[in-house]
Order: sequence, then structure tokens, then C-alpha cells
Amino acid sequence: MSTAAATTRSEPATDVGPPSAEPTGTAAGGWDQVERRARASQSFWTAVVGVPAIFSVLRLGVEAGGELQTTLLLVANVGPVNLLAGFLTTAARLLSTVLVAVFALGGVLAASAHGMPRRPLLARWMEITPSWFVTASFLIALVTWPLLYLPLLLPTLAAAFQLRPERLHEHPVVRALIVAAGYAGYLWLLLPTLRIAWREGATLPILLLVVPPLLALFVAGPLPGVVIRPLASVTQLAVLVVLAWAALPVISTPVLPLTVTTVGTSAEATEEIRGHVVTTDDVNMVILQERGGVRYVPVEQVRGQVLCPSEEELPRHQLRIHDFHVEDSLLEGLGRRVRPVHRMDAACR
Amino acid sequence: MGESVSRFRYRSVATTAAVALTLLLGAAAGCDSRQEPELPSVQEKLRESHIWGQPVLRIGVAEDEPLMGEVRNGVHVGFDVEIARYIAASLGYVGDHRIEFVSVSTEDRIPALQGGIVDLVVSSFSITEDRKKHVSFAGPYFVTTQEVLIPTRHRDTIRTIEDLRNPKYKICTSGGSTSEAELEEHQVPMLVVKDVRDCVKGIRAGRYDAVSSDLTILAGFMARHPKDFEIVDMPFGTSELLGVGVPIGDPALRDLVAYFLHKSYQQGLKGEASPWQTAYNRTLGPWLRVEKRQPPPLDVPELVDFDDKVPQR
Repeated sequence: MSTAAATTRSEPATDVGPPSAEPTGTAAGGWDQVERRARASQSFWTAVVGVPAIFSVLRLGVEAGGELQTTLLLVANVGPVNLLAGFLTTAARLLSTVLVAVFALGGVLAASAHGMPRRPLLARWMEITPSWFVTASFLIALVTWPLLYLPLLLPTLAAAFQLRPERLHEHPVVRALIVAAGYAGYLWLLLPTLRIAWREGATLPILLLVVPPLLALFVAGPLPGVVIRPLASVTQLAVLVVLAWAALPVISTPVLPLTVTTVGTSAEATEEIRGHVVTTDDVNMVILQERGGVRYVPVEQVRGQVLCPSEEELPRHQLRIHDFHVEDSLLEGLGRRVRPVHRMDAACR
Repeated sequence: MGESVSRFRYRSVATTAAVALTLLLGAAAGCDSRQEPELPSVQEKLRESHIWGQPVLRIGVAEDEPLMGEVRNGVHVGFDVEIARYIAASLGYVGDHRIEFVSVSTEDRIPALQGGIVDLVVSSFSITEDRKKHVSFAGPYFVTTQEVLIPTRHRDTIRTIEDLRNPKYKICTSGGSTSEAELEEHQVPMLVVKDVRDCVKGIRAGRYDAVSSDLTILAGFMARHPKDFEIVDMPFGTSELLGVGVPIGDPALRDLVAYFLHKSYQQGLKGEASPWQTAYNRTLGPWLRVEKRQPPPLDVPELVDFDDKVPQR
């Protein structure tokens, strides 16, 4: 299967277009390829639907604190659409990161793996994935990644689509001028942020903002044979390990919003319950407490309820790019402009 | 031919380096995204402080300092009380059912903090080097001066510090206050009582002739008896920085109070209605001849909070 793929591609280093655009070779080879692609497409869509579904159910188990009855209570009350939407909200960043990493590595490996008896897995994935899907993954990354990490999209994009600076202009001097002007403009945009980062001694943010655009100029192109073999095997393993490492926090991210509910029988004797509201009916409000356990609170005893942030949302850096916090994604940054005042209720403390 | 081979080699080395660096930066970004914030957070400080887990916050306030801290119809009101409510709410104690106001006299403020009777003192507490040995201060939240309040009958006779030294006048002040030390320094003979209120009562009863204290406290009694008293601006030459008293063994709580006072200060700088400005306008503002602004608090720690990502412009 892989040999057929390798032999039928006329320009594996640069061809990243949709499968139909590729030449097919012999009739038997064509059928084989059509069948292979149909199967790949099936498994692809199975994974796209199945992985979030399985993740979501796993998350319910974690959210319930490992208790079977609590898990069943959540299953009974959290609708599948809410579950999937909740999953996509919290996991879009992880999913796009994994896809971008796979496509970037796949692009590099595909460009370098000429003459290898068996093409690396990531290169094959890259080849069978429709280019609209690769583009969509990059667009999702663009709007969901924190601004601080966004520059990394440039080298990964150049690697995935094997974009070389030669495409900018055929004349080297004009090309150099275009690149220099673009980079100068980019630095000018970031100058206030870089100045503050320098003053604070924040080396990593400076590197993450300044270096990636330069890497994008060189990242496309075949790697030497000495590098490609270890890279192919190591990166496949690394992607799996990173996926597992990054998936853990996503599995443990709550499905339901965190609230503090004030309950009490009189004005003086009140209690504040910190947890996630599972459901409310005419008689009870069911709260899954943050520290575990389910509370059934009679609705007439509920005095108030506030929405609270979780400690995972605390910023790690104090840097801003033109008043956009570096840890906000473009979507979050725009959202904060629509609703600029976020007042945290004191009951959340 | 040879040139193109060397260019190809150069290109493949550059590509290898670029791929390796991209992978390295990607890994660094991944590790960075999982790290704890470098600066301590407000929540961490709260957990460190002695008030963590307490159902109510006990705050020492004055009960008979008009405009600053007094009880009116069973409710604590005044500038200090408003500031105390803001700090309590910021610490998670919203509403009067989560706050226990403890009345403390001027001289009891330090013992109340040392003895654990109160968690905070917001009661015209001047920051001094001597007091810093016994309690911690967050602030200042107000800068005032020392003045003298005289009954209208002495309007023409008591005008200077020299007049205060005249043995025929009995000058009163509250014990343990900065005014006591200041009068001593100017060699003004004085009678020391428990509270400024006792001095005012004594003047009205004819026992004393003048009382010296902070302008804020005197303005309160002026507001209560506008026809009977007058404030005389005397050049004592020192300014009083009012701060929030915190037990000396709880630096986390001091940091939190300083952080929230600074938050209010920044809101004021931006022209927003800060909690300080609201408290001032509702209490002291109408009674002071010169308009005051919130002073910048000192020794404010850098803390991380949930609203740090909010746009600043």
C-alpha cells in the first residue's frame, strides 16, 4: 500500500493538493489507490466523530470523581450535544495543536522520504489528508492558540505546505527585501511587548515571538538521509506521547461550569457550596461539589448563585501585545473587547 | 555543479537546524503552557493568611468618630467602615453578615490585633515607625494632617501653637494617638483621655478648651456640631498616613490588603468610580475644605488575579 503510494506520486515533495489532483498510473494501481483512499476516509471520519465522543464519556467519569453512581447521574443529565460542544470548547486548542504538529512533521517527512522503502506514517497521513482539512486545522489553531505561541504557526505552515521563500519573488534581492520588510513590520508591531519582556527578563516569550518567523524561511525542504530515519521514528512516538500528556488536562477539565451557590434556611445561617450544578427541578438543585460528593439542595433554600473562574485560568505571564494578553487566543481577546469588564464575584474567593 | 551541490548541502543543514529549533521551541511552548504562574496569586495569598476558612472577618473600627466610624441606628457607617467593607468584600466576605465589626478605642487598636481579637483594624490608624514594630500596615489609604478643634467661644483666643501652650487652656487628646506625641514634641501641656469623643464631650461641658487630633476625626465632630466648633489650621508640620492595621505575623494578609487598596487606586487613576472615591464622596468629601484623593499605597506586591487579562484601555 505504501509502496504504491510512493511510486504513484510524481512530486511528493511539493504536491499537497487534494487526492483527485494526483496522477494514477496503471488501472490496477488506480483501483488500489481509490480503495485505499475510501478506507482512509472512512477511518478518518470515524476518528473525527469517535475520538471526541469517547473523550467526552471519559471526562464524565473523571468529573464524577470516579464514582459510578455520580457518573450515571451526569450521563443522565448532560445532553450529548452539550457534552460535545463542551468538549470542543475546551479541546479545540489541543486538537488543532496535534493536527498542526502532525501535518508539519508529515510535510517535512514527505518532502524528505524519497527512495525510502517504507514511507513514514506521518508522511502518509499528510498525503491522504485533503488540503482543505489541513487548512482548516491551521485556521482553528490561528483563532484558538494563545498569541504567545501564534508565531510558531509560521514555520509549521511552511513545513506542512513546503512553502519556500523562493515563492515570494524570483529575484533574490527583491525576495530579501520583501522578507526584511515583513520581518521589520512584525518586530515593530511587537516592539512594546518585547521591551517589557526584556525588562522583566522573560527570555522564553522573547524567543517565542522573535525566532519562529526566521525559522519559517528555512524549514521547508528535504532533510539529509542521516536525519530523516531517526526523525521519522522518534517523531511518531513523540506525537503519541505528547498527545497523551496533553490529553490528561483535557480529560480532567470540567464539563459543567463552576459556581458558588449560597443556601440557607434563614438570612443569617447561610452556607456557600462550591461546585457544578448538574440539574435543577421543581424540588431540588443537584450540585456536584468541587471536592466531591453530590448535594441535593431544596430550591426554596437557594439564596443566590454566582459563576466562578477556576485557578487554571490564572495568567502565567504579564505581557500584552497592544492590550491583548499574550495568553489569550484571538477569539478570547476579541471576546474581552466585546465584554471588557469581567467582575469576579467575591463569593468565589 | 559543485556550487549547486554545496548550496544544496547548505540548504539541507539550514533546514535541519530550522526543523530542530522549531521542535525545540514547540516543546518549550508546551512546557510553558503547563507551568504555574511565576508570581503568587491572590488565591495563594488567601490560603497563606490566617483568615482562610474563617466564616466571618473581624474588623476593628471606631464606634464614635463621626464621618470615619460610628454606629448609626445599629449600623456601622463612615469612611473607615466603607474602606473596611471594600477590603472584606475583596477578600471574599460580602455583606454585613460575613463581617463582625468590633469597636476598638484608639489605645486598644494594637492590643486588639496582637491579641487576635480582630483580623484587621481600619480606624484612623496612623502609620508610624514605632507602631510598625508591633503591627503591620497596608496603605496609606488616606493622608491627613493634625489640627485643633476649638469651641466657638475661643474663636478669637486660640489661633496658634503658642496659644495652646498657655497654661490657662486645657488641651485634650486621645491616649496612644500620634497627636499625643506631636503635642508632646511641641511642649504643649495636655490632658489625655480614652477617645476624641470624650474630649469633645468635655469641651461642651466646659472641662477642656481645645482638642487636637487628625483633621478627618475633627471634621466628623464638626459635622455633628457645626455651630459649636471650629477647626483651626495649625502648622504642626507633619502629615498623618492612615493605614490598615494587620497582625505582624500575617504578611500574606498585609499583601492582600495592599493589593486591593492599590487596585482601587488604579481604578481612580483611570477615572473610574473607585471604591475609595465612592466611600469618600459618601462620607468625608462634603465636609473637608480641600478635596482629597486616594494616595498611592506603599509596598504593593505583584500578585496574579483572575481579572488580569481584562483589557486595560
